Amino acid sequence: MSKAEIPIVKRSLFSWILAGNLKLQLLLLLIIVVMVMIRVLPLEMQKRIVNEAINLRSIDKLLLYSGFYLAAVLFFSVLKYLTNIIQTLITQRTTARMRKDLYHHILTLPLNFFRKTQPGTVVNALSTELTLPGNFVGMAVASPVTNILTLLAFAGYLFLLNPLLAAVSLSIYPIVVFLVPLLQKGVNKYNKKRVDAARKFSARIAESISGIHEIHGNGSYRLENRKYDALVDRLLKIRIFWSLYRFAVKTSNGFFTGLGPFLVFLLGGYLAIKGRLELGALVAFLSAQERLFDPWKDLIEFYQVYQDGRINYDKTMRYFDIEPEHEIEPKDREPLQLEGSVEVKDVSFTTDTGINLLDAINVSLKPGEHLALVGFSGSGKSTLALCMGQLYKYTGGSIMIGDHEVSELTKKDMINNIGFVAQSPFIFDGTIEENILYSTMAQIDDNGQGENNGKPTLDDIIAVLHQTGIFVDILRFGLNAILTHDQNEELVKMIIRVRKNFQQDFGQDLADYVEFFNENKYLYYSSISENLIFGTANEEEFADINLCRNEYFLNFLNTADLTRPLLSLGVDLCRQTVDILGNLPPDAVFFEQSPISAEELEAYKILVDHLKKKKLHELSSKDRQKLLELALRFTPGVHKMVALPEMLETLILEGRALFREKISVDHPNAITFVQMSEYIYSQTILNNIFFGKTTTTNPQAQESINQSIIQLLIEEDLLETIIEIGMHYQVGTKGDKLSGGQQQKLAIARIFLKEPRILIMDEATSALDNKSQARIQNLLETRWKKKNTVISVVHRLDTIKNFDKVAVMKAGKILETGTYDELMARKGMLYELVGKK
Amino acid sequence: MSSLEKNNSTPSSEFQGNLEILRQTYFFSSLPLETLKIFAYLCTREKFRQGEHLFRQDEDDGQAFYIIDGRAKLERTDNGTTTEIRDLKTGEFLGGLTLLGETRRLFSLKSVADTTCLVLNRGKFLKTMEQFPNLLARICNAVAQSIDTWEDRFLSDHGAQCGECTSRLGVTLI
Repeated sequence: MSKAEIPIVKRSLFSWILAGNLKLQLLLLLIIVVMVMIRVLPLEMQKRIVNEAINLRSIDKLLLYSGFYLAAVLFFSVLKYLTNIIQTLITQRTTARMRKDLYHHILTLPLNFFRKTQPGTVVNALSTELTLPGNFVGMAVASPVTNILTLLAFAGYLFLLNPLLAAVSLSIYPIVVFLVPLLQKGVNKYNKKRVDAARKFSARIAESISGIHEIHGNGSYRLENRKYDALVDRLLKIRIFWSLYRFAVKTSNGFFTGLGPFLVFLLGGYLAIKGRLELGALVAFLSAQERLFDPWKDLIEFYQVYQDGRINYDKTMRYFDIEPEHEIEPKDREPLQLEGSVEVKDVSFTTDTGINLLDAINVSLKPGEHLALVGFSGSGKSTLALCMGQLYKYTGGSIMIGDHEVSELTKKDMINNIGFVAQSPFIFDGTIEENILYSTMAQIDDNGQGENNGKPTLDDIIAVLHQTGIFVDILRFGLNAILTHDQNEELVKMIIRVRKNFQQDFGQDLADYVEFFNENKYLYYSSISENLIFGTANEEEFADINLCRNEYFLNFLNTADLTRPLLSLGVDLCRQTVDILGNLPPDAVFFEQSPISAEELEAYKILVDHLKKKKLHELSSKDRQKLLELALRFTPGVHKMVALPEMLETLILEGRALFREKISVDHPNAITFVQMSEYIYSQTILNNIFFGKTTTTNPQAQESINQSIIQLLIEEDLLETIIEIGMHYQVGTKGDKLSGGQQQKLAIARIFLKEPRILIMDEATSALDNKSQARIQNLLETRWKKKNTVISVVHRLDTIKNFDKVAVMKAGKILETGTYDELMARKGMLYELVGKK
Repeated sequence: MSSLEKNNSTPSSEFQGNLEILRQTYFFSSLPLETLKIFAYLCTREKFRQGEHLFRQDEDDGQAFYIIDGRAKLERTDNGTTTEIRDLKTGEFLGGLTLLGETRRLFSLKSVADTTCLVLNRGKFLKTMEQFPNLLARICNAVAQSIDTWEDRFLSDHGAQCGECTSRLGVTLI
């Protein structure tokens, strides 16, 4: 982890071979030397078995030499296995290190770089592209050393047996070395042509398929066929030549290696007949000759891995070979505590292609002053804010924070003093709590042990939740949580108390928005299984997910005449849902109102295929189970793609009574039925308070529900407990389970919690409703003014009246700066902008 | 396809009802059936009690409405005085522009009888359009034509009585 290391993108592929692997590589080398020596031993044994044991008819010697042979083969195999393990270890460790180092480097690259780079490119570089270089490093010592040593050992042994014969049989290899690359060139040439032709071929197909209506309309089948056939013919010709060359390489390789034994037989046979070569030596010679081919082949393969690995490695590293614009942390000093003043002088920002995004910008702020940047989209206001926050590197002029130039500060200096809320803030997968603490924890983490006590308390967090207005959202997440049996009995009792108060105080008022649990009514906002069971399972086998496999329940469905209608409802649901959602990505938005989850979609697509070919009664029991599972989930108030047949509704209501009757006798403890005095563990806290389910997503209705619930929770002193539960809500990938407004509030909350000396907000409240926006504006004016400097890129001009300064921008320039009243009195650009609104 | 082949004995679902509505709405009608199905599925039906607001002036609620049943009053408040603009009735669609981009309401809409609306919000709309980037052009075209038709009709019906406002005519020129 030394800091003076060369950045990964400057490292050569070879530098990985020894770095961190030195001991392993040395061990490998040692094993290889032993291995090569052992490899020659069987040849010598072969010779001795023929010459000494067989010729002299000595069984003892035969056993002895065979024993040696066996031992050598055995030992060799063990060592070979060992080298494989070490090689794998080196490969995997190196790949892992490359992946880590490159990722660490990539995260520090300038934002500019990522505007031109697709996330897929980075994913690909880190996952696939580094595999081959890793393989190369694993082989880099073992493969050439093993194979060259083996070749040398065999060749040496051949010369020892008979120099003339050795020279003749080895003379083939120079020819191969010359001829094969020549043929390979031909392969490469035709391969290139093949790729080109294949591309044209694909483009042709894509074009005619997308223009198929035109072909049908004009009846131009022959015309199109001719164009297509010509391309196929060309591809055919190229592929034949390509294959011819490829086979030529293979055949000539085979031919020459086959030629070896022929020469040995011819010349060796002659020498043996003449008595100038022992028979054993000839056998050993043939054996060695054959084995020469393997190391030779391995070497060529290694060369291929080297070439591919080098190309991938160089390409990847070159792509990311960009210097971070700023040092991550200071080397020889503590991170700075900056003053809150900002002085922007003659700042310009020009892109690589010479476009001026900012031009001669001048503006200054004293500590605690608030600046609003306004102007049309594209006027440069965001760019200026990003430059002040060091997220973009300005190309000219100077920006001073306190008495330090921004471009010379390290990231850590900035992070310790500045908070940034982006236009479309990014929320990472995890809980609300993790996301709220994101900025604070990043700062604490960076500062090492010194400021570990900086972690905010629950009170701090709750204060910020109120300030940003996300409190109610988190309360809702908490209320939507499902408690488990073992969780806090006290809490459960309190919730039941709240339920009773709710019924008394608000039951009537909210009746339009809540479907109360009622034993005699069908519940449209509950699933079919909930309607049937009408209670919470105390035994696992009666839990919702297990019902479709529960024999007892399946028998009950038969008795209640429900199986058939449920299956056919399942078929309808499955077909409709797959038809609507079949090609959509697994975004929460698309699957909220679906009975099929994103993960299950593929399986149900297959089921739809089965349904096309088979009748309901012909389906496998597994398919029927899936359909039943789907039908049991069906909640008419949520899943609108199918209507609930009236007949089925009646049957289910009758079924509910029948089920209760049966199970009370057969399994009296399996279910706790829904009743006012019991907590319903299968339902959310909110549904428990309601003793029912909400039927609306209308924001105003939600608001009035929230108000009444908050009042009740305060009475029971439960508010904080529910918030704590809500803080554990999982926000989903990229926070996709949160609305745009909730994401913004969360992003503001995490920065408020950090309470930076300078706050930069880039249209940070654009997705908020008026009330939330006003609340945050009010907070900035009352609590932050004169204390923390604020730079705010603003799109709604009604919020800027109380800023200390307003700067109006157009086309990268500041046209006017002053207080709101001054600028309005001047009747310049701001006046015009406000007028337009 | 399957939905078209369905026999008529099964009750019609809310989804099918929504699909029918969208097919008759200028904003959506140019979209292929596959995309319309997704919107029909994502739409929700909301009930507003008499006197409740569907949306309020100055807020960016980001929703488009189709009035399935009921009546709502469009109002605008300037300097404390509220002016009634007109009543919106069953079958009217509004809010297409709101789906396309952040805009604050220049009017309030308040239900004058219990009203049921089909509602689609901007988040769902944009997320879906991300899947069909090519289709956005069709919607822009529909909106541009609709604005053009509106001004054309306005000019021929009221152009002469415009008086002072004449100099501000020409919304189609933006």
